[in-house]
Amino acid sequence: MRFWILLQRDVLVAWRKKSNIYQPLVFQLLIVTMFPLGLGAGAQTLQKIAPAVVWILALISTLITLENIFKDDYEDGSLALYVLSGMSLPLAVLGKAAAHWLTTGLPVILFAPVIAVLLHLPSTAYGVLMLSLLIATPIFSLLGTVGSALIMNIKNGGMLLSVLIMPLLAPVLIFGAGAVLETTLGNNPSGHLSLLAGCFVLSLSLAPLAAAAAIKVNLE
Amino acid sequence: MQSTILHISRAQCQKGGEPLFAPIDLTLKPGQMAVVAGNNGSGKTTLLEAVACLGVFSYGGINFAPYDNQEKWLLHSHYIGHSLGNKANLSCLENLKFAAAINGIKVRERQLSETLDSVGLRGYEYQFASDLSAGQKKRLALGRLLLLNKQFWLLDEPFVNLDTTGCDWLFTCISDHINNGGAALLTAHDNKRIHEKADHLIQLERP
Repeated sequence: MRFWILLQRDVLVAWRKKSNIYQPLVFQLLIVTMFPLGLGAGAQTLQKIAPAVVWILALISTLITLENIFKDDYEDGSLALYVLSGMSLPLAVLGKAAAHWLTTGLPVILFAPVIAVLLHLPSTAYGVLMLSLLIATPIFSLLGTVGSALIMNIKNGGMLLSVLIMPLLAPVLIFGAGAVLETTLGNNPSGHLSLLAGCFVLSLSLAPLAAAAAIKVNLE
Repeated sequence: MQSTILHISRAQCQKGGEPLFAPIDLTLKPGQMAVVAGNNGSGKTTLLEAVACLGVFSYGGINFAPYDNQEKWLLHSHYIGHSLGNKANLSCLENLKFAAAINGIKVRERQLSETLDSVGLRGYEYQFASDLSAGQKKRLALGRLLLLNKQFWLLDEPFVNLDTTGCDWLFTCISDHINNGGAALLTAHDNKRIHEKADHLIQLERP
């Protein structure tokens, strides 16, 4: 199936260019070490901001990788290869999003506990943190395909992409960080998690269509 | 008399709101080759991209005669533009393999190395595309034509970057394709031989 072929190729390409994979993680680590320095040491202060910081870091570090989802393919011409191959364009977008998630979203999820430890996140919240990121990182990748498809032929479009995508990701941040926060306060996070899952379903069903349309518009 | 494979009538492309070239007409049949010539900036690439569905004609019409629509027509054509479509950090074999697979064509490993053989890249199977020279990258892209074996070839400046033997090889390759009932639309700004061989020579002029 062509979806798998595109997915395999993208994962292979990302694996060979490993800086793409660890760049977001290094970015997170650098910033999180700044927090105790800026805020002054004190487990309690850190603990209070931990849910928000872990989540914002996951969001921002993914955001800086979104630009290249389609841009690289556009620049080296391999975009034309699969756009003109007659494969369904939304399916191609799904393949690209899946590959991006495997190479960016998954490492971010697995790395989240490290960031959480550095911020003294209560151990009860780890499960919910991982779960919320597991639901949310695919949303980042899916919405990222839309943004990346819109700006692929613009030089230095990264800033524009952030401005376009950030408002769409705001609800994801609210529900995601909210779920972790509720857990640390001893409340049930299932409401936030269900809304997060709703966002995932929405973006899964609409983002491929939107990104496919954006690619078509940009090629005309 | 064989039926038309591509029909373009009174077509014009525009850039920044201005028409790029005077309207052109073309009727291409299987076994024919059309060459687009013109100065730099005359719109050769824009024209080719419009035919390949990577752009649009602002005026005039295009008719993909034997097929109902553009999508079906695309399944029978292959486009190689200025960006060649090779992934820099995939090897030559992997690049060809991906191109075949994404086009839904099953190929055996032997076929892939034979293709690399015939484009003159024997021994480069496991070399990354980024390590190749400009001419070799072109050869790798042209290898896709042989591998995919589509009826209609759309080539943007295929002779650029190739050495003399490469040009001769590509010339024979295109001739063979035409003789076997294929069709080709290509741009070449200075290759006299291909201009003489062409069934249709489209000179792009200012509107």
